[in-house]
Amino acid sequence: MNESGVKTHTEFVLPFRVVSRADVSRLVSEVEWVDNELTAAAVRVKTGAEQSVGPAMSDQLNDFLNQNELKLDDSRVRSELIKQLRLLKEHAPIIHMTFAVPADRESLQQLAEYVRTSVHPQAIIAVGLQPALVAGVYLRTPNHVHDLSLRTVLAGRRDSLVKELDALRVK
Amino acid sequence: MGLFQHKHKHSSDDDFAAEEHFLDENFREELRNHARLYFDKVIKENGNLFKQDLDDTITQLNIGLKEHTAKQLDDAVVQISADLKAHVSEALDTQFTTFSEAAKAAQDATLASLQTSATGLEEQHKQLSATLQKSIANQSVMLESLFQENMAKIAAVKEANDAALASLNRSIEELQTQNDELTSSLEKKIATQEEAMIKAFEGNMAQVVEHYLLEALSDQYDLKTQLPSIIQQMEANKQAIVDDMKL
Repeated sequence: MNESGVKTHTEFVLPFRVVSRADVSRLVSEVEWVDNELTAAAVRVKTGAEQSVGPAMSDQLNDFLNQNELKLDDSRVRSELIKQLRLLKEHAPIIHMTFAVPADRESLQQLAEYVRTSVHPQAIIAVGLQPALVAGVYLRTPNHVHDLSLRTVLAGRRDSLVKELDALRVK
Repeated sequence: MGLFQHKHKHSSDDDFAAEEHFLDENFREELRNHARLYFDKVIKENGNLFKQDLDDTITQLNIGLKEHTAKQLDDAVVQISADLKAHVSEALDTQFTTFSEAAKAAQDATLASLQTSATGLEEQHKQLSATLQKSIANQSVMLESLFQENMAKIAAVKEANDAALASLNRSIEELQTQNDELTSSLEKKIATQEEAMIKAFEGNMAQVVEHYLLEALSDQYDLKTQLPSIIQQMEANKQAIVDDMKL
């Protein structure tokens, strides 16, 4: 936690709706837009205008603010949040997950929940598609790959299939 | 006319006027006509008789003339035939004599020429016979030498054939040996290839089965269905993933 009371990017709790780096980028943009709107409203109030209703925010941003106990009333908080979100976007660990079928949003959120509770709280997922995998996932971390696809499972058991065919031929 | 003159002499002068009256012009004319008719009848009968006599005479003359002419002609023909026969015989005899002489002369000349030709032919035959004998003798000598040469060549060829045959036999034996070796080698290779092909087939069959499974299963599951399995597998590899993410 810094002087403005905003967590650092390593302390952020990412909601499950925020899955990929694009979602983080969207958060950054939205916070910047909210900052601009609130700053403009404050200026308008100072000039004698009526105070307007605050800008409508997305579910992702609301979840993020709630889970991290943040409020955007203070401009310093907003500026710091923008800065930390940008850092998060740059430094968040990425897990590349390639599936055999197109990934739906709900499944990705479940996976993000599992990854953040089991692996890393700020991990974000980069999604890929490879139909040849048949089923399962081809998972790539910064330094390793984990082929958890059905294709690899079948290839690994090919020897046993050959042995069974050989046994059939001998009979 | 004489008839009227006779009647005129028997009449008297008295009766002359009656007679003149009776013998008027018509009566006279009637008499003349009657006379004419009678005269014509007589003339006609005489003419017929004359014509008949004349025809008989002409017939008789014709017959006589024919007979005479035939006789004359026969005589002339006989005479001419005799003369002609004598003349022709004489001429033919003369011609035959001439032709016989000429033929004899020609025959003599031909015989002489044939004799000369036969003599010449006999001489040529003798010469040709001598030449032929010489040629045959030469040919015989040449054929003998050729035969000897050919015999020598045939013997050489036979020797070469024998050598080639022996060489071929050796080659055949070697080929047979090679063939046996190749056969055994091929059999071994075939067995090896068969084994390899069976293994490859089994490998390919495994790939085929695998491919079939992949094709069959690829569209069967969406991500939601796979999610528990994926999370389970990630849980199994959790420690490695966490370690890598911490680095």
